[in-house]
Amino acid sequence: MADPVAEAWRGTPRSRLLLGSGILLAAALVLIAVAAPWLTRYPPDALVVTSYHGPEPPSRAHPLGTDTLGRDVWARLAFGARTSLVVAGLGMTISLVLGVGVGLVAGYLGGWVDAACMWLVDLVLTMPSLLLLIVLATVLPPSLLTIPLVIGLVGWTTFARTVRGEVLSLREREHVTAARALGATHAWVLARHLLPGVLPGIVVLAALGMSGAVTIDAGLSYLGLGAPLPVPSWGRMVSEVQTYFGVAPWLTVLPGVAIALAVIAFNLIGYGLIGIIGSRRA
Amino acid sequence: MLGYLARRGLRALTTLLGTTLILFLLVRVLPADPAVSIAGPKAEPETLAAIRADLGLDRPLVVQYGRYLWQLAHGDLGVSYVTGRRVAQVIGERVPATALLAVTGLAFGFLFGLLTGIGTAPRQGSTVDMLVLLVTLVGLALPTFWLGNLLIYAFGYRLRLLPLGGYGTLAHLVLPAATLALYRLFFYARFVHTNVGGTLASDYVRTARAKGAAESRVLLRHALPNGLIPIVTLLGLDVAELMSGVVLTETVFNWPGLGRLAVQSVFSLDVPVMAGTVLFSAVLVLVCNLLVDLLYGVIDPRVQHG
Repeated sequence: MADPVAEAWRGTPRSRLLLGSGILLAAALVLIAVAAPWLTRYPPDALVVTSYHGPEPPSRAHPLGTDTLGRDVWARLAFGARTSLVVAGLGMTISLVLGVGVGLVAGYLGGWVDAACMWLVDLVLTMPSLLLLIVLATVLPPSLLTIPLVIGLVGWTTFARTVRGEVLSLREREHVTAARALGATHAWVLARHLLPGVLPGIVVLAALGMSGAVTIDAGLSYLGLGAPLPVPSWGRMVSEVQTYFGVAPWLTVLPGVAIALAVIAFNLIGYGLIGIIGSRRA
Repeated sequence: MLGYLARRGLRALTTLLGTTLILFLLVRVLPADPAVSIAGPKAEPETLAAIRADLGLDRPLVVQYGRYLWQLAHGDLGVSYVTGRRVAQVIGERVPATALLAVTGLAFGFLFGLLTGIGTAPRQGSTVDMLVLLVTLVGLALPTFWLGNLLIYAFGYRLRLLPLGGYGTLAHLVLPAATLALYRLFFYARFVHTNVGGTLASDYVRTARAKGAAESRVLLRHALPNGLIPIVTLLGLDVAELMSGVVLTETVFNWPGLGRLAVQSVFSLDVPVMAGTVLFSAVLVLVCNLLVDLLYGVIDPRVQHG
C-alpha cells in the first residue's frame, strides 16, 4: 500500500477489530451529522443565552456550554459534523474519480500518456499542498463546493499513483491478454478486467483519503478559508475562540477532539481493510 | 550514475517549468484586478489603464508568460502590490525564521521518532507494540493548529513557562518547534518501528541469529541499515509536508516566517508575494527531492538502473 504508516497494521489478527471500531465510530459521527436538528434544541448560529456574560461552562441547558458569541457549543459541533463530513466526502470523491481515471488510463496506455500523467502528479506533489490549497481556495469564488473542489484537485495524486501501479502489473496477466486477443475494446478491458482488480486498493485509499480530507478542511477553516459564514465548521470553531482560551478552554478543546475522532475513525477503517486485504492476498 | 543524474535533473527542470506555468495561470484567473489592488478602488480609469500597460497586463497571455519567465530567470519575483517592496527581498527576510523553525522541528521530531522506533522495533506483537500503534494512531490525528493552541494554554498560560507567541529568543522557539516536531515524532516512530520490525523478521536476520550474532549486532548491523533505506525517501517527501505544517504553526504562534507571509498575502490579495512564496517553496521541495534522489543513488545502487 502507498501509505508507509498504514503498513504498520498489515496482516495482524487485530484487523477486524480495527475495522469494526472504525466503522462504529464513523457511523456514530455520520448519525450525529444527519440527526443534528433532532439532537439539539438550538440552531447552530444564533444567540441562545437570555443574557450574555461571556462564554458559559457546560450546564444542564447547554451540555457543552456556550461560546464567545453566546451560541450553543453542542449544536455547533453537531451541525459542524455535517460541514466537515460533507466537505471531506465530496473532496475525497472528486480526488477518487480524478485519480482513478488518470491512474487507469496512464497505467493501461503507457508510453507518452503515462509519462505526461506522472509528470502532472510530480508537479502537484512538488507544491506544498497547503500553500496550493490556499491559493486555489482564494482564486475560486467562495461557496460550499469550493473546498471540496480544491481538496479534489490537490488530493487525486495518491489515487493515480496507486491505481497506475496496480494496473501496470494487472495488464500483464493472462485474463487481460486473453480479453484483448478476443477483440475486447480498451474501454471494456478497463471497465471489466482492470477496474475490479484495483478496487480493493481504492477502498483503502478512500478511507485514508477521508481522514486526510477532514484534516485539510479543518486546516483551511482554521485559516478562515473554509465553508463560508454562517455555516459552522470545526476548524473555524478553534480559531474563533483562540483569545478566550484562558477563560474557556473547553471551547478550543472540543472541536479539536471532534476533528481527531473523525480522522481516527477513517484511519481505523483504512488500517483494518489493509490488514484484511493484505492477509487475503498473501 | 551520470545518466541517472541527468535524467533526474532534467525531470526537476521540467517540473519547475510546469510549476511556473500553473502559478502564472492561477495568478491570471485571480478575481482581483492588480491595477485596482495597487491604485485603489477610487482610481481614475486612465490611471488603471496606465498601470495595466506598465505591468504588461494588456498584452497577450503568451507574451505575459514569456515576460514572467524572463523576470524569474533574472531573480525578479516582482513587486508587492501592498508595500511596493521587491518580493525576492521580502521572502529573503522571512527565510531565516522559517528555516530555524522547520529545521528544529524536523530534527527533534526525526531524532526522537527514530529512537522510539528503534527502541520498540524488537517488541513486535507485544503490549509495547500495541501501545506504539495506538499512541501514534491518536497522535497523528491531532490537528496541528489545535495542538499548538493546547501547548500555548498549558505551557504559556497555565504554567507561565514560555511566551504565548512571537519571535526572538530561544524560549519563543520551543512551543512552535514542539508543535511541528510532535507530528513527526509519531510519524517516524511508527514508520521505523514497523519497518525495522519487519526486517527483524526476515530470513537473513534469522540466518545471522543462527550464526550466533548477538542481538545488538543483529539490530545494528543487519536490521537497521536495510530497514532505514526507505526513510530517505520519506524525508524527501516530508519537506513539502513540513511547509504545510509551517503555514499553520506560524499562524498559531505569530511566527514571522514564510507561512504567515503566504497567508497574509492571500488575504490582502497581494498576488506577487503569494506567487513568489509558493514558487520559492516549490523550488525548495524540488531541490530537496533531487538531493534525496542523489543520496538514494549512492546508498542503493539498484535504483540507478530503475
